[in-house]
Amino acid sequence: MATQPTDEVLLDIHRRMVRIRTFEDEAGRMAENGFIPGALHLYVGEEAVAVGVMAHLTDEDQITSTHRGHGHLIAKGGEFDRMFAELFGRVDGYCKGKGGSMHVSNLEIGMLGANGIVGGGPPIAMGAGFANKYKKNGNVAVTFFGDGASNEGAFHEAANMAALYKLPVLFVCENNGFGEYTPQRDHQAITDVADRAPGYGMPGVIVDGMDVMAVYEAAGAAVERARQGDGPTLLECKTYRFYDHVGRRGMGRTYRTDEELAEWMKRDPIEMFEARLAEQGVLSADAAKEVHEEIARDVEAAVEFAKASPMPDPDALLDDVYA
Amino acid sequence: MTCLVGLAANPDSGKDIRRVAAGASVFDNQEKRAVLARCLAGIAAADANPSVLYLDDLRAIAYSAVAAAGVAGTPVAGPRYGNAQDTVHAAAAMREASCGAVISLGGDGTNRALAKGWLDAPLVPISTGTNNVFPGMQEGSIAGAAAALVASGTVALRDVASQVKVIHVEIEGEDGDIALIDAVATDDRFVGARALLSGDRLIAAVLTRAVPSAVGITSIAGLLQPMSDADDGGLTVEFTARGKPAQWHVRAPIAPGRFDDIAIADARRIDFNETVEIAGPCVLAFDGERERVMKPGQRAKLSVRRDGPRVIDIKSTLEVAAREGAMIFPTAEGVRHAG
Amino acid sequence: MAETENGKRELSYVLAVKEAVETILNEEPDAFVAGEDVAGAGSVFGIYRGLLDEFGPDRIVNTPISEEGIIGLGVGAAAAGLRPIVDIMFMDFLGECMDEVTNQMAKMRYMFGGRATLPITITTMCGARNSMAAQHSQCLESWICHIPGLKVVMPSTPHDAKGLLIAASRDDNPVFVVMNKASLALTGEVPEEAYTLPIGEANIVRPGTDFTIISYSRMVHESISAAETLAEQGVDTEVIDLRSLQPLDTDTLVASVEKTHNAMVVHEAVRFGGMGGEIAAQVQELAFDYLDAPVGRVGAPFSPVPFSPSLEQSFVPNADKIVASATELLGL
Repeated sequence: MATQPTDEVLLDIHRRMVRIRTFEDEAGRMAENGFIPGALHLYVGEEAVAVGVMAHLTDEDQITSTHRGHGHLIAKGGEFDRMFAELFGRVDGYCKGKGGSMHVSNLEIGMLGANGIVGGGPPIAMGAGFANKYKKNGNVAVTFFGDGASNEGAFHEAANMAALYKLPVLFVCENNGFGEYTPQRDHQAITDVADRAPGYGMPGVIVDGMDVMAVYEAAGAAVERARQGDGPTLLECKTYRFYDHVGRRGMGRTYRTDEELAEWMKRDPIEMFEARLAEQGVLSADAAKEVHEEIARDVEAAVEFAKASPMPDPDALLDDVYA
Repeated sequence: MTCLVGLAANPDSGKDIRRVAAGASVFDNQEKRAVLARCLAGIAAADANPSVLYLDDLRAIAYSAVAAAGVAGTPVAGPRYGNAQDTVHAAAAMREASCGAVISLGGDGTNRALAKGWLDAPLVPISTGTNNVFPGMQEGSIAGAAAALVASGTVALRDVASQVKVIHVEIEGEDGDIALIDAVATDDRFVGARALLSGDRLIAAVLTRAVPSAVGITSIAGLLQPMSDADDGGLTVEFTARGKPAQWHVRAPIAPGRFDDIAIADARRIDFNETVEIAGPCVLAFDGERERVMKPGQRAKLSVRRDGPRVIDIKSTLEVAAREGAMIFPTAEGVRHAG
Repeated sequence: MAETENGKRELSYVLAVKEAVETILNEEPDAFVAGEDVAGAGSVFGIYRGLLDEFGPDRIVNTPISEEGIIGLGVGAAAAGLRPIVDIMFMDFLGECMDEVTNQMAKMRYMFGGRATLPITITTMCGARNSMAAQHSQCLESWICHIPGLKVVMPSTPHDAKGLLIAASRDDNPVFVVMNKASLALTGEVPEEAYTLPIGEANIVRPGTDFTIISYSRMVHESISAAETLAEQGVDTEVIDLRSLQPLDTDTLVASVEKTHNAMVVHEAVRFGGMGGEIAAQVQELAFDYLDAPVGRVGAPFSPVPFSPSLEQSFVPNADKIVASATELLGL
């Protein structure tokens, strides 16, 4: 069992969650103001999952992400300015404006891509885990995917192969209760994605995805298990999307009730964690406010950077199709 | 006499961090539903006109089993939150409705939540969790029949049930709590993933039972000084996390597949109502799960009493039913139940 | 292995492929082979036979029957720094993994702004042969040639197979090496040393002055045979083996047409929507003024590949059909 997190770790976890929340809120506004073309899937409400897992990873460990991937990149160490520039389709974006929100990535810190294909990530993480085992480098590959993706064949092939080869892979199911606009009960007969794990010969664990320390502890055990060569784990985090499938307030408001949303928002992962940190004298309410303000200033500066960044030159169209 | 049975299945049991941090098995919800379906078959077989009041858990385990069984069923009214509070609320509703027996599917924690809502509930606990002490592995159809035989009055509750001990926890400035097997103070800062996995963070414990053949905190005390639920009083154990010198080390299975050498500073019996005090900062774990964060200086008082659930012995119930011919029908009447 | 009269070494297609993979694994510690039955069985076609003993199970990796997982394994391993050779047993099974091929492998580099490098070699088998019927016989190269980000080579001879496979493994892009089952028994001259053939360069296998046949893979041999017949009829026919379909060597095609003024594309794939349409269009765009007639196309009829030997035989183009089409095209 991992040792107790230090105050430094707790403050880092807090900061990373606030960074995601602040970035996403601003991204939502920027989309509404016409700065972000295309589809924007926001991670607000699910911050504890990305951060609780990523607190155990280094830049050498790999992750694969989803169409709702900004939170994963930020938690992995992504920079606001390059991210906003990418979301704006600008040349200074991480992908030179060629990926956008659904493909924002930075391979230099082991982020193998947000992915527009539901279920696209697990096979790639399995392959990265294979490389880690091949190179005996002790690194772990983590794939984030949703309850909806757990119905894709790609997930099942990856789970089988990761367990078969005992690869250092962590399957993190962010079960937010909906595949796009379809409630879980209407898209799978099972209620817990973790129930699928024993069918592949790996442990399946459920944790409260709104409690970052619950995710932190469980992910710590699973990452340690993977690094020791004991194979993959399926970690299901029960969480909730505070905003809509696309944008902050999109279409399809009838697929869930305001009451249900309000119940989940009472368990805001950042507010709950801040209350715990205040109780323990790790971070006062005033100090937490300062963190929010400082990060808001970083976001503001990053947006300015992105606005100033030029659109890609049309001549760049054919760059990077091939190496 | 009516036959009203309460049903509460915990969808979260058998899936916590012990699957990866130790060697525990996943208990999937399809199997829980199948156990409930067998319970319902037993209920329907043992009574002509049974009805059930069930906790409509957010994973719809009970709902789907009841709907498929064709037994008259009513869900517990009110909001659901997808956590232990649902079970507490359901138990209180079952008490209000005067259920003659309650079947629980889950682990020690599930039954603790039930007892929080109905302290002396007439209980048929079925284990669908991890290293449980309170519920055992029971075949569902027989458990269901026993519950219905008691709920209908065919077999008298007092003849086949025994009331278990409970640890009562008073927490300074907050609502109290209970535990059925053990209440433990640990040197943690967070409830986190709940399960207790670190032997070196234990501060102190109060137990109703010390079972050497079990897994968990109760085994540590049990290997030192066994105590059953039938014995009056409780046990208190002091560990070494706060610097007390160790008198003994006990090699105990703290989780499935995981033995630790646990340092013990002291262990002694306590009488009913004798108070043990624990001061924060610490985390209090009840029946193996971290539940409450205690602030620095905050005090908790723990004591043991025998005022808990009346646990129905399935074997005795069926033996009484056999003696009284409760499951024997004249050939002319035919078989009165389905099938 | 055999020696020809002039002392050159001959190898079968199967052994040429095996020798290429041996070369790759010996020179590149980050290269490995993964696929269905590649280890103990050495692939159902024998192309990896013996490599398990030589390189061990860490580098010759049997996979479950999971094509999407196999391509995913290649993509993830490549993104994490390895140089995978992954095998899709039959080209028909691409249907099982087209998301990983199309949306992941082909696009990662571009959509990540050039930050991903995916040096993956994908080996697979096409072609109607031995009554393998509708699901184990197709030539689906136009599927993958249509996807920006992929390269596609289709070697016709043992010599080309070795050279193109080594080139594919050294390339920093995903490269499909598509082999035809009917070519596996061919033998030909194969140098012992490591060598590569440039991806994207066609090969004039029979020079001629009157007529150009553009072909690739198995149909190169039928085209050569047809060219001999046409030569007897007085048509000096040039046969070009494209070797690489993506990228396509249009320079060689245009130069040939400028000389011959007539061209025809021959492939085994179904004619409709096949590569012949693309090649004909490019030749007409680039060399219209030199053409005396429309660019002809020979391909399989618009039908699933049949089972019965007699039907299979009538499905696959051959030298006679090529000659007949050429005769008609040239108005002979």
